[in-house]
Amino acid sequence: MKVAYYPGCVAKGGAPELYRSVKLILEPLGIEPTELFDAACTGAGVLTERNPLLADALNARTFAMAERRDMPVLTICSTCTGTMLACNARLQDEGNRARVNELLAPERYTYNGTTVIKHLLWMLVEDVGLERVAQLVKRPLRGLRAAPFYGCYLIRPSSLVGDEHPDRDLYLERLISTLGAEPVKYEGARKCCGFPVITMNRAAGLRMTGRNIQDAKEHGADLMVTPCPLCHLNLDGQQAEASQALGTPLGVPILHLPQLIALAFGHSPAEVGLGHHVVPAQGPLGRLLQAAAAGAS
Amino acid sequence: MVVRHDVLVVGAGLAGMRAALAAQAAGADVAIISKVYPVRSHSNAAQGGINAALAPDDSWESHAYDTVKGSDYLGDQDAIEILAREAPQAILELEHMGVVFNRDEEGRLGSRNFGGASHARTYFVGDFTGQAILHVLYEQLVHSGIRAYNEYFCTELLRDADGAVSGVTAFDMRSGEVSAFSAGAVVLCTGGMGRVFEPSTNALICTGDGTALAYRAGTALMDMEMVQFHPTTLKSNGALISESARGEGGYLLNRDGERFMRTTAPNAMELASRDVVSRAAQVEINEGRGVDGCVLLDVRHLGAAKIMERLPQIRELALEFAGADMIDAPVPVLPGMHYEMGGIRTDVQGATPLAGLYAAGECACVSVHGGNRLGANSLLETVVFGRRAGEAAAAFARSRPAQPAPESSRADAERALRALVARGGHERSAKLRLEMGQVMTRRVGVFRDDAGLREAERTLVGLRERYADVEIQDKGTLFNQALVAALELDFMLDLARCVVAGALARTESRGAHTRVDHPRRDDATWLKHTLCLATPDGPRVDTAPVSITRWQPQERKY
Amino acid sequence: MEVHLRVQRFHPQVDAEPHWQEYRVEVPEHATVLDALLAARDEQDETLTLRCSCRSHICGSCVMKVNGTSCLGCKTKVSHARKRLAAGEPIRVAPAGNLPVVKDLAVDLEVFFGKVKAIEPYLQPDGPPPEREYLVPNEAMLTVREAMACILCGCCVSECNSLEVEPRFLGPAALAKAWRFTEDPRDAADRHRLEFVSAPGGIWDCTHCFACVEVCPKDVKPMERILELRRRAMEAGFTDNNGARHSQAFADTIAESGWLDETRVLSRSLRGLPELLEWAPVGMRALLRGKMPLRHRRLSGAKQIRAIFAAAQRRSGEPPREHAPGR
Repeated sequence: MKVAYYPGCVAKGGAPELYRSVKLILEPLGIEPTELFDAACTGAGVLTERNPLLADALNARTFAMAERRDMPVLTICSTCTGTMLACNARLQDEGNRARVNELLAPERYTYNGTTVIKHLLWMLVEDVGLERVAQLVKRPLRGLRAAPFYGCYLIRPSSLVGDEHPDRDLYLERLISTLGAEPVKYEGARKCCGFPVITMNRAAGLRMTGRNIQDAKEHGADLMVTPCPLCHLNLDGQQAEASQALGTPLGVPILHLPQLIALAFGHSPAEVGLGHHVVPAQGPLGRLLQAAAAGAS
Repeated sequence: MVVRHDVLVVGAGLAGMRAALAAQAAGADVAIISKVYPVRSHSNAAQGGINAALAPDDSWESHAYDTVKGSDYLGDQDAIEILAREAPQAILELEHMGVVFNRDEEGRLGSRNFGGASHARTYFVGDFTGQAILHVLYEQLVHSGIRAYNEYFCTELLRDADGAVSGVTAFDMRSGEVSAFSAGAVVLCTGGMGRVFEPSTNALICTGDGTALAYRAGTALMDMEMVQFHPTTLKSNGALISESARGEGGYLLNRDGERFMRTTAPNAMELASRDVVSRAAQVEINEGRGVDGCVLLDVRHLGAAKIMERLPQIRELALEFAGADMIDAPVPVLPGMHYEMGGIRTDVQGATPLAGLYAAGECACVSVHGGNRLGANSLLETVVFGRRAGEAAAAFARSRPAQPAPESSRADAERALRALVARGGHERSAKLRLEMGQVMTRRVGVFRDDAGLREAERTLVGLRERYADVEIQDKGTLFNQALVAALELDFMLDLARCVVAGALARTESRGAHTRVDHPRRDDATWLKHTLCLATPDGPRVDTAPVSITRWQPQERKY
Repeated sequence: MEVHLRVQRFHPQVDAEPHWQEYRVEVPEHATVLDALLAARDEQDETLTLRCSCRSHICGSCVMKVNGTSCLGCKTKVSHARKRLAAGEPIRVAPAGNLPVVKDLAVDLEVFFGKVKAIEPYLQPDGPPPEREYLVPNEAMLTVREAMACILCGCCVSECNSLEVEPRFLGPAALAKAWRFTEDPRDAADRHRLEFVSAPGGIWDCTHCFACVEVCPKDVKPMERILELRRRAMEAGFTDNNGARHSQAFADTIAESGWLDETRVLSRSLRGLPELLEWAPVGMRALLRGKMPLRHRRLSGAKQIRAIFAAAQRRSGEPPREHAPGR
């Protein structure tokens, strides 16, 4: 399956471990990526709220790149996905598309509205199939209690995300089970990580981050797993401050979704870049993985 | 707590808030007291619109005549003239306050057709006109700084030594604390009493509290037998499908796909007045030409775009509760209890015969609706007569400032409530309410006769006896809704008796009141109002003349 | 059909903690969760306290959480509430979130209405009204109507992720109401309103989680109104806040390099040295973990992106900005 791969800014910036672990898993899953090196930032919703036409135009350029190659766009970030979906929905309107195409014309792009946008998680469930994923698991993550953390954009608004696939807000749990781990049930799974307000109201953002981690922890999570690197920036990068804000110790490792998959596929913690994490994941995870490997053999 | 204001408005729907704003504008210190937050009031549910002869080719006389005819000549024509004359200004005032009325191409107010009207004079906000106006009046109430006592339940009207109404006793539903509110004048704007019937399109709060308070204080309830059955309600839960569905061009069909209104009202068809359409629909159902106890409302020919722009809420309701998408399927509907034309008898200033007591809106009977209310005249009534009652109450309160209520009135009310909560018994108010509602629908519905009405009366007498054996399970003071339900039932049992008494007395068929044993209108005997007065043995029925200014009774044809 | 409910009960004079109570009631097929609760109250337990009135999602009384999600009980069918439950699992009903519980499912609405009142929720026209109606295009009225459809039920407030951690936040309902006035051609207090909502507790405290959009029973889309208020506030010049600075810095780095320079956006969003210092530990850790790129290089398509950027700004009337040359 050929895809136009859009890693997004954070995978190429603050979360190199994400970019690296995606590389490990695409080939075995039968996904052939063509990376869109030239594609612009989606604007992460920030540009949309400033100027929707501008966000639509920049994203239409990306969609046109994929359309030219007749490939779906593969994303690995909830925020990129949601922002693109919203632009793409507006671009289904012919008037909107014509306005945007006029802006793209001097740069020799035209978008016809046919590109499909899929987050890796969706592609795994809807296109690759969880059976195939299961076959690739060399090291079932048995005994590991993983708390899913979706990232708002991947599940809301359901009119945009879940119209044809009403169960998309359950995929993460299913995938975690497929990998042999146990998905933790807790309310925070579908809440906001606090990242969008972190520069505007840091105290509130940190409390949001902390409450979700605490919720997961209280429900027995060994770690949290997220398909969104922006959530990761907060959950991992600012967990110390979130812990302070709440006045309670946290210490829950946060994994990117592709890292968890790669680990189950047999890759080592070093290969998936756990060393980049702020909250140490290697220690507790290493022991669990050893146990898992022992159990699998 | 003992509280004092110049004017106390009870009820915070359209009539109540309009009255409060008017009383304040007239210089009074006003408070508004309501058993729900203002935006929860049932004015919300008025979907279709509000009438006024605003267009250059329309006239207030035409609006008044349509209303007189719609009322089956039972409406008081002096009041109807005021209603029609003041309508344009009332609507412009609402527009100036911020109501987002639909517009025409020039940006002026745009109107739609409605039942019983000879012009397109119904002004509207999509299909949620009541909500849109209610929320704007709430905005104005916030702006005014008028003190609002939200979630307070009134138990009694206070009277001074001269017998004039001088306030109310009420309790804070949340805390249970009982207070006396003294006022120079009290304006009752407590809305309808639909819960007397089961089912009803009315909200659960529509229990006629103010109507019952006035009745118990000795003032007359007028034309209580005039109960409007709306032609199009949903079978599953009694929810209303607004007349705007027909106003926009919807058809009513029987089992054979025939527009059955052709025989009853060849000109107006589906837009004949509500009593006419409800009777025709009920006949189709009774004579076996219905579908599963219903007739069909069909708007498919309007097309998806118009349905979505003009009837979005109606479509949503039908989808939710009838499982039918009006864009591609007709919706089964049947007549259902909707509105009480009768109520507390007032003059055109909203004044009752009791000094200091005023009333406006559905709880009142001024009477502009007579035997049958036209669609989109009820919102109009609330703002026109709400304003008039507020102004009159303010003027009265100026002449008679509020006296502090004696502490004994507060203590008495508290004692009575405590005793009610403490008493034991074997009955539940919800069960009694249901039995009352069912007998009212069965025997006091679209078609009535002497035997059925007498059966209803016997049932109601029995229910009143059983009421003495009602126990309230919740023995606390905090947000005791079981207590509220019992008090509401107490009120409604009185009101139900009045409806039946009026219906028994009126041995003719007029407007919404159809006696199969007296099928003709009898102007010689019954071109008059019925009045119910409280006695220890139930209501005593009296009559009063109808005001006729310029329109002599004629046969009604649509 | 039989419905199995698990209702959160709390009576502050009796209970130390909320507790769950189960009810089994018989209701018709089309019944809503509210119908089932009323059956429980009327037939089994009169002490069960909940607000409700219209039963047709217009009065806004019956906000509650069903299976953890805020909704109007009268708009939520039992059949729908059961969809994702395991066999034999009861429907969970709890009071609305972010509002103090008075008793059982009834919550305290004073703070809620207080925030609505805070935005000065009434038309403030310029001068006395005209003799007839204000002449305004129907399209403008239809736009305002989108927010006028709000019934102030509080579903959005109950579900708001920001309110969980920031009680000062005006919240989605009040801000959607503010939007309603800024969109109304008859209202003349735009600048005053935009200044008010730009302050702390206003539009920039929205965390963009879509929860309000998701649960609104009237499709008001409060979050989208908030985002529009942000745009209008920035256009009106209310830019001396971290939100507007963040927005500008974000746009600047994309215009310049084609993609996001996280470090730069952060440093340009903050207000002065004290805030920067607060962030220093985060930056240090990121640096140590190899998470902070030392050099932000431009995309090879940056020139193209900048051209489209400028064209889009011209087309939409946003004033173009002189972009500072790269660092």
